[in-house]
Amino acid sequence: MQRHLILEDGTTFVGEGFGAPATTFGEIVFQTAMTGYQESITNPIYDGQMIVFAMPVVGADGIHAEAYESVKPTIRGMVVHDLAEISTNRQRRMSLDRFLKQNNIPGLCQVDTRQLIRHLRESGPQKATIVDYVDDHARDQLAATVLTKQQVQNTATPKAYANPGRGYHIVVIDFGLKHGILRMLGDYDSNVSVLPYTTSVEEVLTLDPDGIVLSSGPGDPNSLPESVFTLIRVLQTKAPMLGIGLGHELFAMANGATLNPLVAEYHGMNHPIQEIISQEIFYAMQGRGYVVDDQTVDRKKMFVTHRDLVDQSIQGLRHRDYPAFSVQFFPDGAPGPIEPNVIFADFFETVADYVEQYN
Amino acid sequence: MSNSTTKSKLNKILFLGAGPNDFGIQGENDAAIYQVLPELHGHGYHVFVVDDNPYSVALESVAATTFWEPLTVTNIKKIIKDHQIDAVAPLFGGHRALRLWNQILNEWHTDDGQIPRTLGLNPAVLRESADITQLNQLLIDAGLPVIQSKIAKSQTEVNELMRSLSLPLVVRANNPVQSNTRQIVERLDDLEQVVDEVKSQSLLDEVLISKAINGMKEVSLEVLRDYRGNCLQVGASEDMDPIGIHTADSLSVSPVLTIQDRFMEQMRSYAFQVADLLQIQGALHLQFAVSEVTGKIYIIKIAPYIDQMATRMALVTGYPMLLVAMYLSLGQAFEDIVLPHNFHPKTAMMEPMMDHIAVKLPVFPFGDLHASGVEVDRNLSSIQKSVGSTIGFGRTFIEALEKAIRAAHFNNRGFSPTYMEHISDDELIQQLIHPQDNRVLLFIEAIRRGYEVDELTELSHIDAFYFYQLKHLIALEQMVEAKIDDPNMLKQAKQAGLSDGLIARFWHSDFQSIRRLARQNDIQPTYKALEPSAGEFPENAHQYYATFETEDESTPLGKDSILVVGSGAFRLGESASGGYATTIILSELRRLQYHTVAMNNNSSDATLLPHISDKQYLEPLEISDVMAVVDKEQPQAIMVPGNRKKLIKVLEELGQRVLILPREKHLANGPENHKSEFSLNFFYDGVEVYPLIVGQHRAGEMRLLNQALDIKEDLNDLNLPSPGLYQIIWRADVNEWINQVEIPDLSHDTWLRPVSYGQVAYLSKAMGIHFLRLIVRAMLDELTPRDWEMLQMISKNPPHVQQWMTKALTNYQLHLQPSGPIDTTRFEMGVKVVNDE
Repeated sequence: MQRHLILEDGTTFVGEGFGAPATTFGEIVFQTAMTGYQESITNPIYDGQMIVFAMPVVGADGIHAEAYESVKPTIRGMVVHDLAEISTNRQRRMSLDRFLKQNNIPGLCQVDTRQLIRHLRESGPQKATIVDYVDDHARDQLAATVLTKQQVQNTATPKAYANPGRGYHIVVIDFGLKHGILRMLGDYDSNVSVLPYTTSVEEVLTLDPDGIVLSSGPGDPNSLPESVFTLIRVLQTKAPMLGIGLGHELFAMANGATLNPLVAEYHGMNHPIQEIISQEIFYAMQGRGYVVDDQTVDRKKMFVTHRDLVDQSIQGLRHRDYPAFSVQFFPDGAPGPIEPNVIFADFFETVADYVEQYN
Repeated sequence: MSNSTTKSKLNKILFLGAGPNDFGIQGENDAAIYQVLPELHGHGYHVFVVDDNPYSVALESVAATTFWEPLTVTNIKKIIKDHQIDAVAPLFGGHRALRLWNQILNEWHTDDGQIPRTLGLNPAVLRESADITQLNQLLIDAGLPVIQSKIAKSQTEVNELMRSLSLPLVVRANNPVQSNTRQIVERLDDLEQVVDEVKSQSLLDEVLISKAINGMKEVSLEVLRDYRGNCLQVGASEDMDPIGIHTADSLSVSPVLTIQDRFMEQMRSYAFQVADLLQIQGALHLQFAVSEVTGKIYIIKIAPYIDQMATRMALVTGYPMLLVAMYLSLGQAFEDIVLPHNFHPKTAMMEPMMDHIAVKLPVFPFGDLHASGVEVDRNLSSIQKSVGSTIGFGRTFIEALEKAIRAAHFNNRGFSPTYMEHISDDELIQQLIHPQDNRVLLFIEAIRRGYEVDELTELSHIDAFYFYQLKHLIALEQMVEAKIDDPNMLKQAKQAGLSDGLIARFWHSDFQSIRRLARQNDIQPTYKALEPSAGEFPENAHQYYATFETEDESTPLGKDSILVVGSGAFRLGESASGGYATTIILSELRRLQYHTVAMNNNSSDATLLPHISDKQYLEPLEISDVMAVVDKEQPQAIMVPGNRKKLIKVLEELGQRVLILPREKHLANGPENHKSEFSLNFFYDGVEVYPLIVGQHRAGEMRLLNQALDIKEDLNDLNLPSPGLYQIIWRADVNEWINQVEIPDLSHDTWLRPVSYGQVAYLSKAMGIHFLRLIVRAMLDELTPRDWEMLQMISKNPPHVQQWMTKALTNYQLHLQPSGPIDTTRFEMGVKVVNDE
C-alpha cells in the first residue's frame, strides 16, 4: 500500500508501506552502515527515532536469534529503498517485514533514500511521520507532536538483574543497554549485575564491584536527573569505570564538560578513529547526536584519548586521577568492526590491576 | 616497523606490467598502472613502465618512460641498471609481475649492482607468499583458519594421503606455472587423471591436496594497510554461486547482501591480520569460504597485489583505491595521503560505503566459439572459463542484474523470455546440479516450471534471497506482458532495469514507440552519483549510473561535450583491444580540451578511470541507455565503435553527429598453416591517403616489412567512409617470414578493411606514432601541419621496425576443453611483442 513520509520542514516522500500499517511519529536520522540492520533496529539508542538506511537493499538476510541487541525494538520506523522479501517457507528465519509487524513498527520502502539522506545531511534530524495520506490533518498532527525526552526511562531496566559468571564482578549502570556490551562482558566470564540508572551510590557499593560500566543509551543526556552525575562522580573514585556512548557523554558531563548537539547526527561505521597515544587508526560503529565540547574538557582532570579524524570530535576520554575512561563509539561492534573490542581488554586489565592493588 | 621508503630517498620507480591478456588477466593491471603514473609524475617522480602487451595504455602514457619489451629477467635487469632504478613496483602488475620480480630477486648477482627497493611488500615476505605451503604454514602458525593441504609428488603418495582424506578433494599445483590450477575431484575414478594434469602445471612437479569445501558461500574482501599497520576495508563482494565455481565465473554482488554482520566482521578481522602478517603496504585481496549454518570461515585465497577484485572495488565504491594503494606502497600513512581536489579531504581514510548495488556478470566465450564450429565444455567448475565481465549498477539487485546482463550482451537477444523454453526437464535438472553459463536464465526457467525456492536452494546451494528476487522479476515480466502500453507498468519495468528494447519485445512494438510513451509520461532515468560516502558528504562526483527515482544529480557538462561509447566486456579475439582504443581516444580528446563523457561497464579496462574524462556513466551500452545519456548531456558529437551498426543508424536518424571508429569484429590475425596475408597499411585523414607500411600476417603473428612502398594505383580512389587506419589485404602462398614483398596490382584479389584496434595498437607502438590520436584529430579537423608533415615523411620513408606482435600462449585445453582446435588467429586471448634479434 502506498504510504507517505512527511518531514517537519514540509518535505514529503512517497513509498510503499511494510511492517505495521500504523501511523508513526519520531525523529528521523540516517545510517550509512552496509551490514547489521537487525542489530541497528534493535539497538535501544534509536528509541523514539526512525532510521533511513543508505544501504539500498535491506532485509536480505532475515532476522536471526544471534543478532538482537535488545529483546524488543523501540524504533519508531524504518525507511529503506528496497525491502528484500524472503517471506515464505524459510526455516529458522523470520523476515524483516514480519518482525516489524509483530513489533508494531511501520516501515516505508521504495523511497529515494539517497535524496532523503542528501536532504537530511543539510537539515539535520527533524520530526517526521509515516502516514497513509498527506493532508492538513497529518501535517497538523506532526506539528503538534512533542517527541518524548523519556527515552532512557523507556529502554533502561527498572529493576536490577544479574548475568552471573565466575570472573570479576562488573556492575552495569543501564541507560538503555545493548546486548553487545553484555556479550563482551560475558566473553571475560564476568559476574554481571545490571542496575537501573536510578540506583543509589550505597546500593552499588554494597555489591562491591570490581568494575563499573556506564552503558550506551538513547536520547538527550541533558534530560537525565542530577543524581546520575553524582552517582558517576562518586563511583569513579571507587572502582575502574568504562563509559560507552551515552555513558561516555554522562561521564564527561559528570566531570564538568558540556555537550553540543551535532548538525547532522552520525550513524555509521566508516569514520577513522585514532587512538592518540599510539596513532593507531581503527573503525567502529558510531551513533551519536552529541559531541563533547572540546573547550569545556577540564584538562587538569581529564585528557582526550581518541578522536574521529573526519570531524576531529572527541571519541574517548580518560580521567587523570582515577581508573576511569570512556568512548563515544561502540567498542562491542554488533553491528560494526570488532577491532575496538580491545577497549574491553583495556578495561579488564584496569580491573585486574585494581583488584590486585585492593587485595 | 619503520617508514623506510620515503620520498626523499627514491626518485626512479619502475612498474612491471602484467603481460598479455589471458584468462583472469583482462587489462586491470595496465589500467591501474596507467592511473597512478600521472599522479607520481606530478609529484616529481621519474616513472618507468615495462610491458610486452601491445594493448597496454600505460605504455603510451606521457607521464612515464616506457619500454615495450619482452618481460624477461635479463631485460628488466638491464632497464634497472641502465636507468639506475631506485624502486620497483611489482604489485600493480599482478601475480605475474610479482612472480617475475621474485625470480629477479632470486637471480640477482652482486655485479648487477644495488638491488632496488620493492614497493609494497617486503622481499622476504614476497618469497614466502610465493610458496603456497609456506604461506599456509605462516597462517596456521598465526592461528588463522586455512584448510590444511598436503603435498604429493607421485600417484603413490596421493594414494597414501587418501587414507586420511575423503572426497570431494581439491587438487592444486604447487608453485604453478599459471595462477589457476585448482581442480575439484568428486569421484575416485577421476583422481589419477586430475593429479597428472595438475602436476604437469607445477614448476616443482608437485600437487597440493586438501579437502573440498563445496557448497559454502564465497566472499571476497579488499583491504588496504599502511606501514604503521593501520588497515581499512575498501569493499567486499559475495558470489551468488557457492564454492566450487571459480569466482570469476560466478555472478557477484557488492555490497554483500545475504551474510550477517558478525561473519563479515570476522572476515574483516582475519583480512587485517593477514595484511599485518605479510606487512603489506598497499592492497590485499582475500577470498573466504563461509557457512552461516556451521559458523565456519576459511581463508581460501590471498592475493597481495592489484587484481580484478581491486579494480572492481575501486570502480563500484568510488573510492580512489589505486591512488591510495600507490601512496601506501611509497611509505605514506593514511593520514598523510593528499588526494586530487575533487575528493572530500578525508576520503582516503574513510571506508567507502555504497548506496547502490553492483552486480558483476561473467562473459563466456562459448557462443563465439560455437559459431565457429568449436564446442567446449560448458560446465562451470573451479577452473575459470569466462573471458570478461560487465558490471550493472542499480538501486536494487534486480535492476543491477538486468543492467549487467544487458551490458554483457549489448541487446536483449540472450535475455528473451523464451530463450530456455526448449530445454527438457531432464536437461534442466542436469544443469541445476552441474551449472553452466546462462545460469540466471536457467533459474528463471526452473521457477517458471514450478520449482520451489527451497528446492532450488538445495540443488544449487545458492541463497534463497536470489531466487525470491528472480521470482519477483518473473512476476513483473508477466505483468508487463499482460498490460500493454500501460505507463505505470512501463515505469515499474524501467525501475527493474528492463531496456526499451526488451519492453518493446514484450509489447510487440519497437523501441521508438516505447521511448515516446516514456517521454509522454515523464518516465526518465534519474542519474545518481557514485561516490564513497553513501550521501553523507557532498563529494564532487563525476561518476553516475541511471535508476528511476525522484532526484537526478547529474548536471550536463555543456553543449561542447563529446560522448565516447565504450566497448563493454572483453571477449575472445582482438576485442580486448577495445578498451585500449577507447582509453587513448578519451585521452586525446582531453588533450584537445574537449569536455568528454565516457560510457562503459567494464571495470578491467581503463576507460572509466576518473582522470581521463570529465564525466563517466557506468551503464550498459544498449540503444536505450546511450539515448538516455544523449538526451541528458546533449553532446555535440558521439564517438561509437564501428561494429555498433544499429546504434549508429539510430543516432544518425535522430540527427546526432556520430563519429564512427572503424572497427570489425573477430578479425583473423593472419591465416594459419602455409599461407601469408600481406597488408598495405595506410592512414586516411578524410581527404587524402597516406600509405604507411607493409605487413606480413601469419598464424596469429604480424611483422612489418622494412621496404619502400611502390604503389601503382591511386589510393585516393578508394572512397573511404571516415578518417582512420585502413589496410588492403592480399594473400600469397608464402610459408615463411620474408623481408620484401612485391606489392601486386591492388585492384584485383585484394580487399579493404579498417585496421583492427589490436593492430592499431601494434602499429602505434612499433612505429612510434599515436595513430588513434591522429584519427581523433582528423575526425575533429584538428590535424596540425606537423601531423601532415610527419605522415608524408613516413609515407616516403617507412621506419625500420624490429618488433613483431604475436599471439601469446593460452591454455585453452585447461580452461575450455574444446572439441577441436581453436583458431587462435581469430580467438586469441592476448598478444605480446617479440624482438627481432
